[in-house]
Amino acid sequence: MDKVSEFQAYVAGCLDSLHNYALLLVRPPDDHEDLLQESLLRAFRGFDSFDPELPFKAWVFSIIRNTHIDRHRRRKASPLEDPLNDAQSTGMLYSPLFSIPLAPEAILLRQETIEHVRDGIRRLPLLMREVVELRDIEGLSYRTIATIIDRPIGTVMSRLYRGRNLLRTYLVDPRREDGHATRGRHEL
Amino acid sequence: MNCDTMKSQVFPYVDAELPTELRNEMESHLVECETCRRVVQQEFAFREVYITHLRPDPAPPQLRDKVTQLLAGLGAPTALARRPWYKVFLYTGAAVVLLAVGVTLGLRLGAVIERGNVLDEMAEASVEQHQKLSRGQMPPDITKVSPQAAEDWFRHRVDFKVSLPDLKSPNVTLVGARMSRLANAEVAAIDYKLDRYRVSLFIMPEEAYNQLGLSEKPRFKILKRRGYDVIVWRHQATGYTLVSEIGSRACYVCHSPDEKFGGASLESFVRL
Repeated sequence: MDKVSEFQAYVAGCLDSLHNYALLLVRPPDDHEDLLQESLLRAFRGFDSFDPELPFKAWVFSIIRNTHIDRHRRRKASPLEDPLNDAQSTGMLYSPLFSIPLAPEAILLRQETIEHVRDGIRRLPLLMREVVELRDIEGLSYRTIATIIDRPIGTVMSRLYRGRNLLRTYLVDPRREDGHATRGRHEL
Repeated sequence: MNCDTMKSQVFPYVDAELPTELRNEMESHLVECETCRRVVQQEFAFREVYITHLRPDPAPPQLRDKVTQLLAGLGAPTALARRPWYKVFLYTGAAVVLLAVGVTLGLRLGAVIERGNVLDEMAEASVEQHQKLSRGQMPPDITKVSPQAAEDWFRHRVDFKVSLPDLKSPNVTLVGARMSRLANAEVAAIDYKLDRYRVSLFIMPEEAYNQLGLSEKPRFKILKRRGYDVIVWRHQATGYTLVSEIGSRACYVCHSPDEKFGGASLESFVRL
């Protein structure tokens, strides 16, 4: 199989995941389809450096992420601004809440639908949603996620911990917008 | 290990991300502590009920088309021009050797590659049509009919035999059926529901199946595409493709779970 065919086969096998990740990162009016196509061209140009030890989709995720940051910086006056570091994420990441994981018993008893859980993940602040999706939807290891987001494993664990707890808060109380529940609610 | 430490490590534990030593400590604690054991059991239950069923948002067909065009444009001339000179030299040498082996062998190799592409395209197209059928984007031509009525409907529309066994379980419903196209041929598309899962069966004429270039063994070919299981096989002069998310269980739309084939179970023929 030549390089083009091999690359095409890899992409065809994970296009839903690549599309989903581009959609996750980009906020309107930016176009996630443009981001995905530019990233795929970059990935093809660098395909010789692809290490099969890493899942192909994880390798392209990191390219999509870097392409997104590059595009953002090209357009903005402040080249060091991080498009992924939104205020909501930052606030939630340093929140002192969620010291103990929320037990999922109440959610299991409510018999929520899978689509409801999926919607809850979509509501998460970007940095938490990113890690929760990479782990719980894409099934990637902590180490691989750390490579993609270019942060230590401890950061992955912290974001995952907070993201999952916030998701549970949404599922237990769907009206809640920010996840700031009382400590009593957290210890359900 | 105390309960607070245990609870702080619940997520890495259920994710199988803990170092062995810490994992062993946790498991010792779980043997002794019923409260923590319950917490961990709930985490595993939450994972089983919800997390394992989550899928990425599917790429819309228009985007899929755009990406296909983009990738098709990754043409050989540009790529060749970027290759180092020694690689061009190597490829040229390889081409000369191939020519020496003979045009006939080259033609055969080309045919094999082409067949592989046809199989790949057919599997992709089957999954796409399965998604459209189950989401109502490809409405059926007939609905709420028996397998026999569906057979009769197809008899007037295709020139190959469409044979649909009786439904073997009350958990199986024939949602609908329609004509469609796969592997450049008209096919019969049947949409089933098994429990809460949708299963699509595509039946194609012998000529279309032959284009896939599949050998007789194994009898059932299993492919994974976009998270779906695609089973391809042939029976007499007809080819079949079954698409679902439930692996060999999808076969229950036509066979009962306890049905034997030469004394063997269905699962022994179809393994994912």
